[in-house]
Amino acid sequence: MNNTSQEYIRRFGSFRIVEHWLNAVTFALLVVTGLSQKFHTYELSQWIIGVLGGIDTTRLIHRYSGIMLTVMTVQHVLVASFGVLFLKWQPSMIIQLKDFRDAIDNIRYYLGLSEHPARCDRFDYKQKFEYWGVVVGGMLMIASGLALWFPILVTRYLPGEVIPVAKALHTNEALLAFLVIIIWHIYNAIFSPEVLPVDTVIFTGKISKKRMIHEHPLEFERMFGVSLPPEESRHTPADTETVEAAQTVKNPSSTA
Amino acid sequence: MSSPRYHTVFITALCTLLCVTLFPATLPAAALSEADKACLGCHSSDQTMKFQNGESLTLRINTQEIEKSVHGIIGCTACHGFTADSHPWDKFRSKKEFSALNARRCTQCHTLEGNAIHQRLTNGLKASAVCTDCHGAHTVKRVRELSHGNQYCLTCHGREITVHYRNGEKGSILVDENDLTESVHKNLSCVDCHVRVSAESHPLRDFGSRRDFALVMAENCRRCHFDKYTKTLEGIHFKVLSQGNNRAPLCTDCHGTHAIASARKDKLANAKRCRQCHSGIYDIYEKSVHGAALIRENIEDVPVCSDCHRAHDNAGPHTADFRISVPQICAGCHGKEEIMRKYGLSTKVVDTYLQDFHGVTMKFYRQYGANEKQIAVCIDCHGVHDIARMKGADAAVIKANLVKRCQKCHPGATASFPDSWISHYEPNIKKSAMVFVINWGYKIFIPFMIVGLVLQIILHMWRYAVNR
Repeated sequence: MNNTSQEYIRRFGSFRIVEHWLNAVTFALLVVTGLSQKFHTYELSQWIIGVLGGIDTTRLIHRYSGIMLTVMTVQHVLVASFGVLFLKWQPSMIIQLKDFRDAIDNIRYYLGLSEHPARCDRFDYKQKFEYWGVVVGGMLMIASGLALWFPILVTRYLPGEVIPVAKALHTNEALLAFLVIIIWHIYNAIFSPEVLPVDTVIFTGKISKKRMIHEHPLEFERMFGVSLPPEESRHTPADTETVEAAQTVKNPSSTA
Repeated sequence: MSSPRYHTVFITALCTLLCVTLFPATLPAAALSEADKACLGCHSSDQTMKFQNGESLTLRINTQEIEKSVHGIIGCTACHGFTADSHPWDKFRSKKEFSALNARRCTQCHTLEGNAIHQRLTNGLKASAVCTDCHGAHTVKRVRELSHGNQYCLTCHGREITVHYRNGEKGSILVDENDLTESVHKNLSCVDCHVRVSAESHPLRDFGSRRDFALVMAENCRRCHFDKYTKTLEGIHFKVLSQGNNRAPLCTDCHGTHAIASARKDKLANAKRCRQCHSGIYDIYEKSVHGAALIRENIEDVPVCSDCHRAHDNAGPHTADFRISVPQICAGCHGKEEIMRKYGLSTKVVDTYLQDFHGVTMKFYRQYGANEKQIAVCIDCHGVHDIARMKGADAAVIKANLVKRCQKCHPGATASFPDSWISHYEPNIKKSAMVFVINWGYKIFIPFMIVGLVLQIILHMWRYAVNR
C-alpha cells in the first residue's frame, strides 16, 4: 500500500511555528477589537466591546495588538532579509512569472482543460498570495494605524487630510484582510477536502510525502533528486513506482 | 261657607305681604326724619369745602343714595355726631384726614375686633385705608352686596394699598384686573390659588420679606401642576433653593403671578425670563446664530434656553449626564429634515459625527454608563451660547480659531490638525477626494477579490469531486 501518507518531511522549524501562532493570535485580536469598532452599530460589536470593558479598553487592546503586529512584521522582514543576504537562504517567497502561469494552469486543470495541475515549488502561488497579503497589508495597516494613533504628531509634518485618508485605508484594508483570511485561508487550511479536518503542517512542522509530491513536486524532486510525472500532482494520486522509489531517500532539513 | 268677612281679611293679608316683599326699599324713604331733612336743607345744594392742602370736596349729598343705603334709617347724626343746630366749623388739612376722622365713627358700632386686616389697614391717621374707602360713606354697603367672586377680592385688591414686610420692603396689594382676564388662569378664581383666604376668612399674615411671600405662594402651584413640581425636584434650581438660596427661581418667577402666560407661546419672552438672573449668558446668546435669528428675525425654530437646558427638570449644565446628552439635544433640531431644509442646513451633521471617532466614543460611553469620561461633543467645537454660523463670512475666522478648541483635548495640535476632521461632509470628489477614491476603490476591489476567491474554491471542490 501507499506509505507516503505516513512518512513525513520536516517543512517548518519551531521558529516559524511560533511565528504563525503569534500572527494568528494577533490577527484574531485585531479583527475582534477592530471590526467591532468598524461595525459599531451592530449588537454583536456592542456586546464584544462591553465584554472587553468598554470602548477605551477595546482600543487599548487593539493598539497593543497593533504593536505586536508591528514587531512581528519588522522582525520577519529583518530576519528574512538577513537570511537571504548572509545565510544563503533561498528567497522562495519571491513572486515569479511562473506563479502567474501556475495560477492559469491550475484553473485550466480545474476546468478540465489540462491533465494535471500546476507543478509548484516550495510555495505555490496561493501561499505567496497570502504571504504578501499579510506582509504588504500588514505594513499598510501599521502605517495607517500609527497615523490614527498619533494624529497630533503626524499632522505636525503632514497635512491634516492624511488622517481621514489613513482611516479610509485602515478600515477598508481591514475588511479585505479579514474576508481573505476567513474565506481563502480558512478554506485552504481547514475546509479544503485535501486537508479536512485541518492542515497540521504549520503546527507540527511536518508534511507527509504524499502531500509533498502532490503539492510541491518541484521541491520534492530537488530534495530527493528524482523526477515525478506531472500526473502525481493530481488530487487523487494513485500508488506508483515513483513514489515507492522516493521513499528510500532520507529526510532533508527544512529551509526557509 | 265663604263669608264676605273672610274675603276682606284674606285680601288685606295678601296686600300687606306684597307691600312688605315688593317695596321694602321704599320704606326708609318715608322714614327720613325731620332732623335729617334739616341737614339736607343745606347739603342738597352745590357747595364745596376747601382743605388746607388745596383739595376740595363737594358737600352736596345725593338723597336717593342715602335712602338706598343700609344706613338710610339711622339718620345723619348717628354718624356725624352733631345736629343742624350744633354744626361745628372745623378746618381739615386734607381730604384724607377728613375721611379718616369721619371713619372713626364707624368703629363706634362696628368693632374691628377679630378682623386683623381691617385693624391694620385703618390704624392711625396714616392708615392705608379707612372704612369709607371701600364701603362708601353715604352709599354704605356691605362688601358682599357690592360684588362677588373675584370682584369681591378686587374690592380691596383693586386698590393701591401698601403692605410692609418685616425687613422694611414694601409691596402693593393692587391686582390689575387686566392681568387676570388675559391670564391662562382666567377661568380660575382668586381663592383657587390663594387657598388660605376666602370671603369669610382672610387671616392677617406677616412675611419677613417679599421673597418669603413669593416662596409661600409658589407652593400652591403644585396643587394642580404636580407633574411639573415633581420634575423640579430633579432640577438644579430646586437644589439651589433647598440649599438655602432664596434667589433660585420659583414657578412664579418664570411664569408670572396674576398675568400667568403659557411659556411656550412666546419664545423670546421665555428666554427673557432666564435673563432675569442669567443676563451675562443672555447677552452672549443674543449674538449667537440662534439668538440673533430669534431676536432680529423672529425665527422661532431656534432654541431658547429651556429647549436645551429643559425647563423644570433642568439638572444643570455642569453634570456629566448633561454633557453627554448634548449631541442628542442638538440632533433634536439638526437631525430633522423638515426644520433644516428651511435654512439650507444639512441633517448629515448628526450622522457624520456619530460615525466618526468622537461620536462612536460618545455613544459607547453613554451606552456603558461612562458618562463622566470626556469626549468631544457638538459644543466643544461649536461653542455653547456663542454658537456661530459655519457658513459665509465668519467661517474662515471660526476655522482659524478651531485649533484652539482642538488643543483643549489634544495639546500640541498644530494648525493642520483640525483638517483631520472633514467637517461633517460625507467624502465626495470635491471634498476629501482621496478618501472618496479609496472608499470606492475598495468598494469595487473587495467584491471582485472575494468573488474571484470563492469561484476558485468552488472550482477546486468540483475538480476534487470529479477526480474521485
